[in-house]
Amino acid sequence: MTEVRLNRLTKIYAGGKPAVDSISLTIPTGQFVSLLGPSGCGKTTTLKMLAGFEEVTRGEIAFDGQDMVRVPAEDRDIGMVFQNYALFPHMTVFQNLAFGLEMRRIGKAEIARRVGETLEMVQLSHLADRYPAQLSGGQQQRVAIGRALVIEPRILLLDEPLANLDAKLREEMRVFIRDLQKRVGITTIYVTHDQAEAMTMSDLVVVMFDGRIAQAGAPAEIYERPKSATVAGFVGQVNLIEAALDPASPGAAKTPFGPVPVQVPPVGDSVTLALRPEAIDIAPAGAGPGTAATVESLQYSGAIVDYVLRFADGSRASVKTIPRHRFETGQEVSLSVDPARFWQLGREY
Amino acid sequence: MRQRYAFLLLLPAGILLTVFLAIPYVSVFLSAFRVPGEGTPYGDGYTLGNFARIFTDWFYIGQALNTMLIGAVTTLATLIIGLPVAFQLARPELRLRGLFYGIVLSPLLVGIVIRSYGWTILLGNNGVINRTLRGWGWIDGPMPLMYNTLGIVIALTHVFLPFMILPIMSAVQGIDPSVASAARSLGARRLSVIRRILLPLAMPGIQSGCILVFVLALSSYVTPALIGGLRVKTTAVTVVDAMIDTFQWPFGAALALTLSVLGGASVLLFARATRMKWK
Amino acid sequence: MIMGRTVLNLYCLLVYAFLLAPIFVVVGASFNAGEFLTFPPQGLSFRWYVTFFHNEVFLRAIVTSLWIASVATVFSVVIGTMAAIYYVHFAGRRKEMIRVAALSPLLLPEILTAIALLFFLYDIGIGTKTMFGLLVGHVLLTLPFVFMNVSASLEGYDTDWSMAARSLGARPFTRFRRIVLPLIKPGLIGGALFSFVISFDVFTISLLLKSIGTATLPIQLFDYLKTNYTPEAAAVSTLSIVATVSVVVIVEKVVGLKVHKF
Repeated sequence: MTEVRLNRLTKIYAGGKPAVDSISLTIPTGQFVSLLGPSGCGKTTTLKMLAGFEEVTRGEIAFDGQDMVRVPAEDRDIGMVFQNYALFPHMTVFQNLAFGLEMRRIGKAEIARRVGETLEMVQLSHLADRYPAQLSGGQQQRVAIGRALVIEPRILLLDEPLANLDAKLREEMRVFIRDLQKRVGITTIYVTHDQAEAMTMSDLVVVMFDGRIAQAGAPAEIYERPKSATVAGFVGQVNLIEAALDPASPGAAKTPFGPVPVQVPPVGDSVTLALRPEAIDIAPAGAGPGTAATVESLQYSGAIVDYVLRFADGSRASVKTIPRHRFETGQEVSLSVDPARFWQLGREY
Repeated sequence: MRQRYAFLLLLPAGILLTVFLAIPYVSVFLSAFRVPGEGTPYGDGYTLGNFARIFTDWFYIGQALNTMLIGAVTTLATLIIGLPVAFQLARPELRLRGLFYGIVLSPLLVGIVIRSYGWTILLGNNGVINRTLRGWGWIDGPMPLMYNTLGIVIALTHVFLPFMILPIMSAVQGIDPSVASAARSLGARRLSVIRRILLPLAMPGIQSGCILVFVLALSSYVTPALIGGLRVKTTAVTVVDAMIDTFQWPFGAALALTLSVLGGASVLLFARATRMKWK
Repeated sequence: MIMGRTVLNLYCLLVYAFLLAPIFVVVGASFNAGEFLTFPPQGLSFRWYVTFFHNEVFLRAIVTSLWIASVATVFSVVIGTMAAIYYVHFAGRRKEMIRVAALSPLLLPEILTAIALLFFLYDIGIGTKTMFGLLVGHVLLTLPFVFMNVSASLEGYDTDWSMAARSLGARPFTRFRRIVLPLIKPGLIGGALFSFVISFDVFTISLLLKSIGTATLPIQLFDYLKTNYTPEAAAVSTLSIVATVSVVVIVEKVVGLKVHKF
């Protein structure tokens, strides 16, 4: 079981700006960590440095305090699952799993036993003699995971492993991978650009932009209290409200929903507030106290309805709700929000 | 593999091609300007005499032009004969495709001397064709098929046909089948699909096939030597004679260089004329 | 439309007949019982094969050809494969340049290459006293075929396979032996076969660079044909065809051109 520590890890390709810019992160033993961000944010480069496929420009990588930067990839004892699986097409499922054990000069009987156990774990015992090309996408995926785990690596790295699967299978595999990780208890680093994947699977989500860590925290923290507008927008829809400080009541800002208590910034006379669309309650006009607004457009997608609403001052807000009451375009509605659902955004990363 | 040691992979091929191809080409260029030697391959000093000898003698000029003509006609013949075959072979659903493909490759397995030899048996005055035609009473005397330009072109067409078919076939195979379907959905008939869509898309293959056949035909020695005999000689045959029989190395080099420059210029002109803007 | 297909198929059959005709004629002529070359043969006999097996010149030429083709193929395969690996995985922006260079022996007229090598060998004092020049010429001419075949199969090689093997603990040599080699085997064998067959057939370079007593089979056959018209040449040709075809078939059966069912 391994704790992974990155200290000011940096990667600069010849003549470019840093692909990974001095990131520091400690991943406790046995945790499932997602590196989440848009393509080009440095998450895959970070993973490749961890695996030893990319040279580190500056900074440290340590497994349990042991420096790894100069250890070649083949000696790092890492299990890696590739986006396109990278199964060896000329080897059977069994041979694919046995390969890493053979590299470790483990005896035939022991290899057979361990491969057998792992195949059972990834539910592929019946396909041991098939070639990768004869398997479905989901089965190939499980072979890739089995091949990475059978060597009992110190850490497990997954590079967008679900990107090539269809939506239904992807959800099944999320649960499968998460369960397996918990059972084995291995420190796992998972790269993805899909916020839903990161949210549902991880103990810790690390959001990256432009080679830097924008925010690291538990999924709920990232979603409910993102530090910046960029993070807030990447992990879900968000209403941003530029609210002027209310000179009448110190420590509060004016919003269409009434005054909201804020921490007064040292400079400036406004703050940025964020509000998730599902935090707004929507009711027919005149049903009670609330802010009046008009339905500008709506999108019905089964379980939920997305509304775009316009206030009297011309500003807009998105609202997400279950379709209990249906409102039509142009209809007057009344909105209300628990002030505690607002939060104040800080500087960008 | 570390990037910085990767160049080692290229080293043997690089040395081979530099030392035994690039440098010799420089030296052959220089050698064409050497003074002919007495008992040695070449004497001291340089001269334009070898080229003067070529360009002042209608024999060599005419022969070079005839050689180019043979190359051009052979190229055209292989194109006309090979194009439909390439299109047929490119169809994956074709029955016996493996067999037909094998037949197209078979001349390559058999060797150029043997194939040319086969043509002497077929084309000779007492050859299969003449005997058969005489047997049927269609002709009285032998039809002149050997020892002339026609015979050389027939044999060369056979010898180099695979080099036309294979590039075109792979170009056609690379065409996305949905492109043809799209054209048909827009109302194009089968012939228009071929003419407006498939042929232009196969053009890169046609181009490389033509260049390959033309260059090979120009510099081929065995077939013209066996079919043309002593009566019709191509420039390549004269070059080899000069090198081996009469031991005039600088003159042979000059002649080979002249032929290559003429051929190279034709290839460049052809490539320019058939340039594809979309490539 | 059906008509069009039929016409096309008939046309193609004619072309296939044209391609096979001279080969059939040679094989047929080799069984001729008569003294002179005629087709159809005047009765069947193996007499020209017997004559051939007593003709030391042809036997030696076949041995020479097989030897040169084998050695040239070994060199071409090693050199060409290395170059192809560099070309596919490391060449970067110089890719097109390297491709043209590697294919250049094929693009340049063989006759000029032969003369150039002859001059060069003479200038550096090696001349045609040894087989060295002949071998170099053959390696040059066969290199493009290995390069084309191997690089084609390498293009289908996913570098993630190497990375996966690395993460599982495989060192460079092991990765090459266990992963790269098996996966590019079809291209490698295809290239080697091509190389062998091409070398067996090289003429102009062999003619100009041969040393005394190193005439290859095509040279010997050509020499013979200039002055003789007996069917012995047909017998030699037939055996040569059988030899090359068997090499190709045996290699395909033994080593296996197909890897697994990808």
